Amino acid sequence: MGVLREEDSCLLLDEKLLYFMDQLELLEGKRKTLNSLIEQGWFSISKARYSMGNKQVSALQFANEMEPLVSVHVRTLENDEVEFCAVRSSRKCNDKFVKEPTSIEDIGPQEEGIRRRRNTKSDVAEKKTSEDISSEKAPEVNPGRKRDHNPQQDPLKWFGILVPQSLKQAQSSFKQVIELSAEIAALQIVVLNARQELKHDLRNNDGSTGLNTSARLNEKEADVLSANESL
Amino acid sequence: MAGRGKLIAVIGDEDTVTGFLLGGIGELNKNRKPNFLVVEKDTSITEIEETFKSFLARNDIAIILINQFIAEMIRHAIDAHMQSIPAVLEIPSKEHPYDASKDSILRRAKGMFSAEDFR
Repeated sequence: MGVLREEDSCLLLDEKLLYFMDQLELLEGKRKTLNSLIEQGWFSISKARYSMGNKQVSALQFANEMEPLVSVHVRTLENDEVEFCAVRSSRKCNDKFVKEPTSIEDIGPQEEGIRRRRNTKSDVAEKKTSEDISSEKAPEVNPGRKRDHNPQQDPLKWFGILVPQSLKQAQSSFKQVIELSAEIAALQIVVLNARQELKHDLRNNDGSTGLNTSARLNEKEADVLSANESL
Repeated sequence: MAGRGKLIAVIGDEDTVTGFLLGGIGELNKNRKPNFLVVEKDTSITEIEETFKSFLARNDIAIILINQFIAEMIRHAIDAHMQSIPAVLEIPSKEHPYDASKDSILRRAKGMFSAEDFR
């Protein structure tokens, strides 16, 4: 019975070890892909910098306000594993911003119409009143007025209206990197948990095999003694 | 589970941060601190460590991406982080390729297997 239990525990250990090795191999494979995608992204950024100019693709171009377009949904599972899911925001939010700028366009031409008139004191006063009106409307308009500083806008627009294809390729590479990062984060936790479980089982197995071997040794010694006595 | 998802933070050189911000992970507004740090030649190790610790303390960050050469500067802080969330991923940089032997997670996973473990 003890021998059977020992065999079962060894089989279980072997399975866990193989599972751990498989997950580690998977992790290393994904890491390799991640690293090559990142390098691809850098190369594309360098090409874009070459065509646009050194200072045109740098931290100076970052927007003053930005909202994340990617969010990670985290879910803790029963076996202490964690699931990471990278979700790219849909364009619904952008549609809201598309609708609201119509109010700007309504105001804009009127202001322009006023501004195009001769620049007299009365017009200046009119401008001030129109500015007051626009500032009153600011809370409604601002989310849309942020078209220039729209936090939800495509980050490519920070670098200009017409950006080279290489910058778009860089963006595409890094988007893939982001999705892969979520997978790798989850795999890391799986690997660490598997390692921990394996270590724990190995220790338990050492303890139980130690007892079994000593029991078997005692039995053998007893057999030898009884054989000697019979002789 | 409904609700706002968490963020991805990045600590890296200019190109790395630029790339990830192009990917759409950046958050920067008046009320909240940014979820990224561009590490330049004159960025102090203290600043890097404080930023890393601030990211760990935030409950809205799920993943922290960090260039491995920067991770080496604050290795003690990274090794001390044992929780699953936020997950820390070390990534290569342009001048320093990725070295699996230096990765905190892989070192813990490989756990210095000894021959006695397999007896």
